[in-house]
Amino acid sequence: MEFLSDLWAVNRITVAYAMVNAFFALSCYAVLQAGFLSFSTVTFAAIGGFLGAQMVIHGYALPLVFLASGVAGTVSALLVALVFLRLSSHWMALASLALVLITRVVVLNAPALTGGVMGLSVPMALPMEWLTALLAIAMICFWALYNSWFGIASRVLREDPSVAACMGVDLRKVQFTAFGISGFVGGLAGVLLALLLQYISPDTYFISIAFTMIAATVLGGSHHWLGPILGAAVYTVLPIASQAVLPHVQDVAAGVVLLLIMIFLPRGLIDPRAFRLRRAARGAK
Amino acid sequence: MELFASQLLNGLSLGSLYALFGIGFGLVFATMGILNAAQGCYATWAAIIALAAAESLGLPFPLIILAAVLGGGVVAIGVDQLGFQPLRARKVDMLGALITSIAFWMILDSLAGFATGQQSLSFPAWSYPGYMLTTNPIPLPAMQIISISTLIVITVAMHYMIAHTRLGSAIRAVGWNPVAASLGGVNSRTIILLTAALAGAISGLAGLLGGVLTSNVSFTLGQSLMLKGFAAVVVGGYTDVRGTAIAGLLLGVLEVFCGQYISTALRDGFTYSLLLLFLLVRPQGLFGSRGFIRA
Repeated sequence: MEFLSDLWAVNRITVAYAMVNAFFALSCYAVLQAGFLSFSTVTFAAIGGFLGAQMVIHGYALPLVFLASGVAGTVSALLVALVFLRLSSHWMALASLALVLITRVVVLNAPALTGGVMGLSVPMALPMEWLTALLAIAMICFWALYNSWFGIASRVLREDPSVAACMGVDLRKVQFTAFGISGFVGGLAGVLLALLLQYISPDTYFISIAFTMIAATVLGGSHHWLGPILGAAVYTVLPIASQAVLPHVQDVAAGVVLLLIMIFLPRGLIDPRAFRLRRAARGAK
Repeated sequence: MELFASQLLNGLSLGSLYALFGIGFGLVFATMGILNAAQGCYATWAAIIALAAAESLGLPFPLIILAAVLGGGVVAIGVDQLGFQPLRARKVDMLGALITSIAFWMILDSLAGFATGQQSLSFPAWSYPGYMLTTNPIPLPAMQIISISTLIVITVAMHYMIAHTRLGSAIRAVGWNPVAASLGGVNSRTIILLTAALAGAISGLAGLLGGVLTSNVSFTLGQSLMLKGFAAVVVGGYTDVRGTAIAGLLLGVLEVFCGQYISTALRDGFTYSLLLLFLLVRPQGLFGSRGFIRA
């Protein structure tokens, strides 16, 4: 028993990171499953994160902070969607990356709100119970969404927009909903990260987290809602594990593992199509 | 006036680096549909290879350039064949390629850190022309002239090649649809290899010139080129080389002038505000046309 509690003490922070990263990955997944490659999650996270951090500093209660960050993320996501949905898929990927670069500059040049170069200290640690509860709620929501009209419509939209339109799917509605969900979860992810790190700066919400969270989502599987959560866990544990096994070259090792997974399982670790094919093959026997 | 002229020159030479890098990045994006996060590493590694060649063999400057070009090309072909070809064979969309390029970015950046001993190296003074061509009326550093003229030569050559030669039509055809290009008698595998090598070579050139001009050979070299080169691609439009070149120069000049006359703190702010403006007003870039929609 003592061994177990020691193990928990050592790995507590890793588990917390994996859970916060799961929110980032779920936010990426929300737009990916509707067929959009967009890095704008980081922007929503920055908006939610800095707003939430300011609210915590001014002494607001946590539930209110979470709600406000999520709503701020949603509003910014809908505004972004208004511009991005006019672009073709290639341009949207580029534009969202540009948005991440612009976000950092805005954060740097609004020191009254963001602390500028110095960043912000957040005078409160993230309570583990809150994190667990929020992730559980998020999982239930994404499970419900996956099986809802929206989930089915967005999967059709991803496979073929013309087919989706022919079958009476309101494309704009699905696209805006996808961005709205991404914004809410992204804003929440931003404030959770702020509370976990207890310090945020312009570099917290920048290119590296944008790339790694997309990578985590695709690694876990962008065709099922469990994929991003598993992907975020793998992506969080991988550098730590490779540091234990191969110190000094952990980045190289993590990169090689990511590469191998993508080459051999390009649809990610959790792939509903593969499950269905396997079940069908068993049924045929 | 003299300050203005020499700052203009500084801006143009900085901009030519961004533009060169952007041309390589845009070529991969337009032809293969890959948003290549590892492109900055090509520049870094080309500079490292060139530096190693210069120090161990004592090569003259033209041969150092050749080493960087070859180095960039070889690294690009390696990444393409190891990372992107298996995905192409399985017909995975651009998302998969982006993730493998992120994996290569992590690997190559980390290895570059080891290669330079986690510090910033610089080219020895004898290895490049560090003198001034004239000092009257304004100082003309040879390296700045070299980088600007390199950009002009590459832009003109690339534009001619893509718009007016059989090879260029083949590259555009593969960019449009590799299967249809194959049916039309284009060996798309060869074209993709060639494009990868070309993009790597141009990025490598940007890396070498950047390494010499900024006296910085480390993994941060590729990263800064990547961010600004990317901005040049978005402003200029990835389907046209001329747009990227002009946008890159514009960004360089704006950056230097903003730092000189307005405020150093707002340098990057200026660049990215321009980027935002273009995204809102002309999302298809300077020379892009609205009618051209990729399937």
